[in-house]
Amino acid sequence: MKITRRELLISAGSLLAYSQLGSLANAEVNIAAQPGDQEMIASMCKALYPHDRFPMNIYMDIAAGAIKKGNADTGAKISFRAGLDGLKINSFDKMSFKKQTKYLNSIANTPFFGLVRGHTVVALYDHKEVHKIFGYQGASFDRGGYKDGEYNDLSWLPDPRIEEHPDLTAFLDDSSPKKYASLKTKKTF
Amino acid sequence: MKIDKKEKAVVVIGSGPGGAQVAYQLTKQGIPVVLLEAGRRIMKEEYVNEEWPAFSQMAWLDKRTMTGNSRIVQDFNGLPTWLVKAVGGTATHWAGATPRFLDYEWKTKSTYGSVDGATLMDWPIDGKEMKPYYVKAEDAIGSTHRGGRPALPANNNYKVFAEGAKRNGYKFYATGPYGTNAAPYDGRPASVQDGFNFQGDKSGAKWNPNVSEIPKALASGKLELRENSQAVQITTDSSGKADGVLYMDTKTKALHRQEAKVICVAGNSIETPRLFLMSASARHPNGLANSSDQVGRNYMRHLTGSVYATFDKPVNFYRGETMAGFLADEVKHNPKRGFVGGYYLETLALGPSFLGAFLDPGRWGKKFADMMDGYQNMAGMWIVGEDMPQKNNRITLGSAKDAFGLPAPNVHFDDHPNDTAMRNHAYEKGEAIYKAVGAKQTYRVTPYPHTHNLGSMRMSAKAKDGVVDKHGRCHDVKNLFVSDGSVMTTGAACNPTLTITALAIRQGEYLAEQLKKGNV
Ligand SMILES: Cc1cc2nc3c(=O)[nH]c(=O)nc-3n(C[C@H](O)[C@H](O)[C@H](O)COP(=O)(O)OP(=O)(O)OC[C@H]3O[C@@H](n4cnc5c(N)ncnc54)[C@H](O)[C@@H]3O)c2cc1C
Repeated sequence: MKITRRELLISAGSLLAYSQLGSLANAEVNIAAQPGDQEMIASMCKALYPHDRFPMNIYMDIAAGAIKKGNADTGAKISFRAGLDGLKINSFDKMSFKKQTKYLNSIANTPFFGLVRGHTVVALYDHKEVHKIFGYQGASFDRGGYKDGEYNDLSWLPDPRIEEHPDLTAFLDDSSPKKYASLKTKKTF
Repeated sequence: MKIDKKEKAVVVIGSGPGGAQVAYQLTKQGIPVVLLEAGRRIMKEEYVNEEWPAFSQMAWLDKRTMTGNSRIVQDFNGLPTWLVKAVGGTATHWAGATPRFLDYEWKTKSTYGSVDGATLMDWPIDGKEMKPYYVKAEDAIGSTHRGGRPALPANNNYKVFAEGAKRNGYKFYATGPYGTNAAPYDGRPASVQDGFNFQGDKSGAKWNPNVSEIPKALASGKLELRENSQAVQITTDSSGKADGVLYMDTKTKALHRQEAKVICVAGNSIETPRLFLMSASARHPNGLANSSDQVGRNYMRHLTGSVYATFDKPVNFYRGETMAGFLADEVKHNPKRGFVGGYYLETLALGPSFLGAFLDPGRWGKKFADMMDGYQNMAGMWIVGEDMPQKNNRITLGSAKDAFGLPAPNVHFDDHPNDTAMRNHAYEKGEAIYKAVGAKQTYRVTPYPHTHNLGSMRMSAKAKDGVVDKHGRCHDVKNLFVSDGSVMTTGAACNPTLTITALAIRQGEYLAEQLKKGNV
């Protein structure tokens, strides 16, 4: 598979990638199999989407998924290996956040970057622990949905009107083509 | 009911709001119908209340490509549209907003005048003629705030939206009209506010054909629903009339043929023109019913965009109904704003999984992470407005092939300057709404893959200007109809499904009458 920059940078790649998560081929030579490799990738995931509230084990999970994708086929393997090498040579995990950001910008056009970023943005915000930290409760159907007092528990603003304004019908009905055609269109583009 | 493949049947292709409605109208009048649907029937117990698994369960993921200056070309190249392949069509995913066209929106050429680069045209029908069908459509869907049906309660996202709107001097906000029950209606329950209506809605409170027209038509005994049956070609006889449909079993890939006396196509604005183009023949060398060269052209996707904001205090905007919040103040044509047409603002909430993918595609770094970090304190809205039809915004058969070896459709989309001007106006107004209630950070979000797909099989008075006439009947092929949103001459500001439903009811009644009179 030829991986173009575009294919990898697009989020569509990551959307479709989601459905491929489970179907990776058995690889013979695995990249990123050295001690410390997963930690290195995790430090990249964290620099991409830095959340102080997230424990490192979440980023480690994301890194594991990225590595799995990096082993998916020969094209991914060679670009992943090269990208990981770059992180190691530059001791990416020891850099300041500012330097990390600068480094990531310098490799932003590589397939390696595209693969790790595309995977991270999907997998990280889909991670169950992240949902907990964000306070997102997700599915509620089994307990009968969000209850009165839950879906409307916001109390720092007054309760709004839910009915339509009495003038709405007149406002919408006043839409004769003739009348509106008399409004002169002023060209601004 | 079982209909023989050799029998010349009424065949409907696609079971979304357009196709299912036509099938239901015909069966209701005792006319047997074969309904071909590329996807399978997913029952509500099977729906998954998680964003990605639900997406994989129902989205149309067959290969499509995209070109043009729209940002989606970079962001989501393989996924230009967000459509469903399942019985009930994209309404399995839909939110439920059901506004109507304004009277002048049927006559945009006469109203707005000529706009450079746009192919505005008046519809051959008007608001007066459509009014009774809108009432029927609202009753079919069960729109709240209409027909005596009650309003949905306010959820947290709406509270922020409505108060911000009020403080900006806006008046026309409400929790609907919306196609999910606030009280039990038509054998379906009231909303349980579970926050997952995009994912199919496990409760059945949300209208979609799979819980309404399909079961009703099946109960009539006049419908044969063929799932996993994707139409790939419409054939014609020596007189040029359509006489059959070749369709593929998507599981076994076996090809079948159904003889037909009338065919209604409702595959949505990508697949409908694609099918017509794949049906080119010696008699129709440019594609079926395409003497006008209009098949696939004037494709629209509505002006869209979103505004999200974070606040000091929690909102938990994902709870409750996804889009039950509506603002109509900016919908009226007012060229002083620097563009023609208008737009609605509607509440919208995404879970963290989708928000990460859609908030700012391709973006990374601290600012993005900080916005995501404010998830619990976030509110969101969607912009939906009229976009300009353009000749070259177009569906064609690309060189790429899908997994069945069929030519994959290419979607070309350039934003018109009017679209951009309107979107920027709407972004400013949306931000002002949130700032008025204390937003800390606001975020302008680019369009998602197209959820509203319109045009591409344009309705026109004259055969040279479009593909179908005022009843959705092909100008060139008299027993061939188009029954989905692709007939839209122009798109208006409003979400399209109510209008698709109204047009399909009207077409179904017309076709039943013609069939009874022996006119087709
Ligand atoms: C997330 C989301 C939210 C939305 N919210 C709203 C909203 O609030 N209000 C609103 O008005 N609209 C909304 N929409 C849009 C709405 O879903 C569509 O306007 C509507 O479903 C279009 O109906 P249709 O019948 O034209 O096409 P579809 O619903 O797309 O149905 C087409 C059907 O045809 C089938 N098909 C296609 N090709 C073939 C073939 N060759 N053979 C056999 N079958 C085929 C497809 O599988 C599909 O089931 C939303 C859409 C999305 C994705």
